[in-house]
Amino acid sequence: MTDVTRPGLRPSRIAIYGLLILACLVYLVPLFIMLVTSFKTPMDIRTGNLVALPTEWTTIGWTKAWSQACTGVQCDGISGYFWNSFKMTVPAVMISTLLGAFNGYVLAKWKFRGSDLLFGLLLFGCFVPFQVVLLPMAATLGQLGLANTTPGLVLVHVIYGVAFTTLFFRNYYVAIPDALIKAARLDGAGFFTIFFRILLPMSTPIFMVSLIWQFTQIWNDFLFGVVFASGDSQPITVALNNLVNTSTGVKEYNVDMAAAMIAALPTLVVYIVAGKYFIRGLTAGSVKG
Amino acid sequence: MSQLELRKIRKTYPGAAEETLKGIDIDIASGEFLILVGPSGCGKSTLMNTIAGLESISEGEIVLDGKDVSGVEPKDRDIAMVFQSYALYPTMSVRENIAFGLKIRGMPKDQIEQEVERVADLLQISHLLDKKPSRLSGGQQQRVAMGRALARRPRIYLFDEPLSNLDAKLRVEMRTEIKKLHQRLQTTIVYVTHDQIEAMTLADRIAVLKDGELQQLGTPKQVYDSPQNMFVAGFMGSPAMSFVHVNVEQGEQGLQAEVQGGDGHSLKLPLPEYLADRVGKKVVLGIRPEHITQPQDQKSDQALVTTGEFTIEVTEPTGPDVIALIRLNDTNVHCRIDPEHPVTWGETAELMFDMKKVVFFDPDTEQRIAS
Repeated sequence: MTDVTRPGLRPSRIAIYGLLILACLVYLVPLFIMLVTSFKTPMDIRTGNLVALPTEWTTIGWTKAWSQACTGVQCDGISGYFWNSFKMTVPAVMISTLLGAFNGYVLAKWKFRGSDLLFGLLLFGCFVPFQVVLLPMAATLGQLGLANTTPGLVLVHVIYGVAFTTLFFRNYYVAIPDALIKAARLDGAGFFTIFFRILLPMSTPIFMVSLIWQFTQIWNDFLFGVVFASGDSQPITVALNNLVNTSTGVKEYNVDMAAAMIAALPTLVVYIVAGKYFIRGLTAGSVKG
Repeated sequence: MSQLELRKIRKTYPGAAEETLKGIDIDIASGEFLILVGPSGCGKSTLMNTIAGLESISEGEIVLDGKDVSGVEPKDRDIAMVFQSYALYPTMSVRENIAFGLKIRGMPKDQIEQEVERVADLLQISHLLDKKPSRLSGGQQQRVAMGRALARRPRIYLFDEPLSNLDAKLRVEMRTEIKKLHQRLQTTIVYVTHDQIEAMTLADRIAVLKDGELQQLGTPKQVYDSPQNMFVAGFMGSPAMSFVHVNVEQGEQGLQAEVQGGDGHSLKLPLPEYLADRVGKKVVLGIRPEHITQPQDQKSDQALVTTGEFTIEVTEPTGPDVIALIRLNDTNVHCRIDPEHPVTWGETAELMFDMKKVVFFDPDTEQRIAS
């Protein structure tokens, strides 16, 4: 037997993995602190160490955040706002994704005079800062009678998201050979049949990309939520801010942390469920499969 | 069973400086197998797409069974096409791929099933019906693509370089298969290829295209033996026809032309009588490899046959033949020699020139001089 160092044990390997594990820990520490703090009693938080495990595990922070914590003057927790966020995010994600898929189909497979220019202009939509559209959007929502409502927020997010989703789908569909469309046309399929029967079923990876991207963007949005919604229609991001900033009595860090965890959970779940498609979809077309 | 007439088809792409199709006129009889050949960019695929209705034409008429369909949508032309990339629907099984066109046309379910079975039997793909296209080999995908076309029983079949993605062995197999299928079903087929062997073996008639113009339309034999011009002559046949510039002279035994070998040997080639009005002028002699062979006794006293000694520059054994290269008037010329009659490169060999099938071209117009 020759004396060969196994690749897993080489010092350079150890250094690389060491560094990676360290980086991992650095990113996980805030999550860890949030989690352990949310399960501590207020007493424990005041007297104990920040990173220590709770001396007494309790879910009181979670239940309070969910149903009793005060967000401004009301004190019935963030549960209502959590569902507000769902009522806003789910339709906004679905509508913007479907619109993007349709736009992408037209821009990639039914080119018309100026379609490339239109696509180029649409891309500008990805770079418009949120703040720029606040006032015109407020005026528009007012005129439509959608100010301070969830449908109004959905509309804003759909308009804002369509630029991104169109970009995703257009680039995905451009890589699909035109012969497929030609074959379908000869088979007698029309514009919509080709879209729904041929292209959409092929779109799972890019659908996931669009879904994750839009869900994260819309769920995490604070600015539109705080500007275009009020009171009962506010999304959870706004409610979380109100909860943390409500300054009556003692600061309940366990409640704050639990509320923050609740606010962050859906995006985490979406990533875990659809994450493998995200990477696959982002690299789709770059490598011949 | 349908008849297709292409009348003066012109096509200019928007913004393009030059026409892609410059007035194509072809009549395709019912049950005919027509092959469009030409180098890439000659417009053959564009012509195919205009027949299918996938691209519009700028001028002219496409007449299908007596009716002008140039403005008709592809789906209403009742034409099926087999694509080079097969273009199978990746999310559907083979069965669904074949049935798709039938479903859209509203055929009842039980009839669709029957039709799929029939086509699958015909192409021997019954065992693949429930698989997805990505699980199939190239040859199997090719069969499914043909099945999808056959299932609809369309009026015209279009094949757009269907075999060019297959490996050499499979290509020959599928070529035979397509030929058998055509003989059995007697369907009207328009087939695009850049492979001249495919064209020769499959076609009832060949249309040779170049730069959007029809160069020649004829049976494989016509195109091969009597090419209209030097382009067609050079395009069909492998190794290609060689072109030698010669002077037509009046000799003692009739017309003749002198050719100079690479080593200074010269030979007077007998020429046919129809070149009489070209005496003293230059012509281009179009000579195929099989016109220059080893001496053959049975031919030696025929008219327009002669022998001479030439230096062999290169030999390329292909198995059934040896392709030898000689120089005639500073042009490379291929000869086809029986391997039983060995020749060595660098040495001289006696070669027999059979001038009966040699064709002649006008050096200025590049058109063939009529016999």
